[in-house]
Amino acid sequence: MNEITLLREAGPDGPALTTATRQAARAALMAEIEGRPTVRRRRRPSRRVALRVGAGLVAVAAAWAGAVAVTSPDPATPPSSVTLVGFDMPTFPLSLDPQPPGLRPAFDGSGDGATIADYHDAEYREGFTVYVTEDEPERAEPAEGERVGDVREREVAGRDAELVRGSRPWCTGPDTDLDCTPRGYTELIWERREGQWVRIEGHGSYDDPAQVTAVAESLIDRPQPATLAVGLAPAGWSVQGFKMGRVLTLANDAYEQQTLTVHIPRPDEVIPAGEVRESVPGPVGPQLDVAVNGRPAQLVLCESGYLDQRTWYLQAQFPDGTTFVLQAPDTFTQEQVLAVAAQVTHTP
Amino acid sequence: MATSPVRTAAGPPPEPPSLRALPSARPTDAALVARSLDEPEVFADLFDRHAGEVYRYLGRRVGELADDLLSETFLIAFRRRADYRPERLDVRPWLIGIATNLVHGHARTERRRYRALARVAAEPPIRDDDPGESADRWTAQALRGPLAAALGSLHVRDRDVLLLFAWSQLGYEEIAAALDIPTGTVRSRLNRARRQMRAALGPASPLEDPR
Repeated sequence: MNEITLLREAGPDGPALTTATRQAARAALMAEIEGRPTVRRRRRPSRRVALRVGAGLVAVAAAWAGAVAVTSPDPATPPSSVTLVGFDMPTFPLSLDPQPPGLRPAFDGSGDGATIADYHDAEYREGFTVYVTEDEPERAEPAEGERVGDVREREVAGRDAELVRGSRPWCTGPDTDLDCTPRGYTELIWERREGQWVRIEGHGSYDDPAQVTAVAESLIDRPQPATLAVGLAPAGWSVQGFKMGRVLTLANDAYEQQTLTVHIPRPDEVIPAGEVRESVPGPVGPQLDVAVNGRPAQLVLCESGYLDQRTWYLQAQFPDGTTFVLQAPDTFTQEQVLAVAAQVTHTP
Repeated sequence: MATSPVRTAAGPPPEPPSLRALPSARPTDAALVARSLDEPEVFADLFDRHAGEVYRYLGRRVGELADDLLSETFLIAFRRRADYRPERLDVRPWLIGIATNLVHGHARTERRRYRALARVAAEPPIRDDDPGESADRWTAQALRGPLAAALGSLHVRDRDVLLLFAWSQLGYEEIAAALDIPTGTVRSRLNRARRQMRAALGPASPLEDPR
């Protein structure tokens, strides 16, 4: 006997192909062939949603250029006005109990809810990220310079988990002079419950199996709200994506090219109050000096560069003095822009 | 006594029926793929021919998740049928290759399944007293658990090659084409997988040393 014979004779058996499964799969194929909407049974429906926003400057650029990049514009006529209503932000489904000392989460997500909670220090050297997905996370091919160690088995709250240790290049400095050194990580992956996979990746002192496992075992089912949120939004609009607690985009469900974006610029990206009009692309009309949260704010109407639409650009501040930028189409009135801005909250 | 009416031919005897051509031999899989470019519905015939085998392969690797992956395999195959190259690969290994790539997205499910099977199979087998039972069969039963554990310990790429060879009985060239890797890589992965299986099964392994 050799390995091959042994595998054939004693290897794991699979389930029998039932008539129902066969018919369902064939029906899905026929629907595809006939161009009908596919209705098929899935044990775990996938709801992978790609975020369409970037971070920092990229996000600002995307907000300006995003409409231009649309390759198949919706032929529908954009609505000429909006009606503001109260808005509930999606949440991240899990919390940590106890909270990790000194670390606060920032979330990434979509209209379906947040899928990433990032707990790192300001330098991103110390902390961990929690990913939650309905489907089993796929392991990407190792990136250039990445070293993946052995996969070990662990147990988290009585469930099998995989522990992976490795390192990736960690680059700092300006783009023109990056300084890259290997940075270790510890990753723990398990199916926390049916249809809820969790992956935790730790760095710094969390690049440690015991630490990551402790984080995993501290997860509880308590939703957390997004750190950057709006309390008012137009009726019929929903969250398109939010990222790292610094960028939030809502879109008109009936006309996705229309978006409302709020982002928190880095300190070096904040435009001096007197220079906003000169610093934004395509200004139309004067810079309006207004007030939000009792603090001075600057409002400029700009050309969006798309279908003759115009965009409001508002630079304002939260009560604690942190600057934020709100961009909205000119289907909002000036008063509506200010009303939405007054309801933007940030809880870093 | 009643007499039977005499049947008389009204005319010359009819010509013997011409022999109709037998239905042509059923089209090959490759011909069906080609025809499906103009007649998409014929692709369903490929499902009828191969669904069972694709499902068996998927089921042995990922268990009940095969229900989903069977459907996805044929949907992907249908969408990519224009890219199919019959001179490179038969349809069966092409489909199995698509199924294998789908399994990659569920590598952890696959490993967990092997680990679970290893635990279940750890209980000693009930020996059948049938004297006709072969020693090999008895050995195979006793090794179900270690075998599942050993499969779970393999790297997914090595496991792919091993199981395509063992379960789907594909040749080196077919595996290479199905996974889009060089034949030499198939050989090296298969050798490594077999060596690791032997090592993982331990000293109690009844496997013959191939050297």
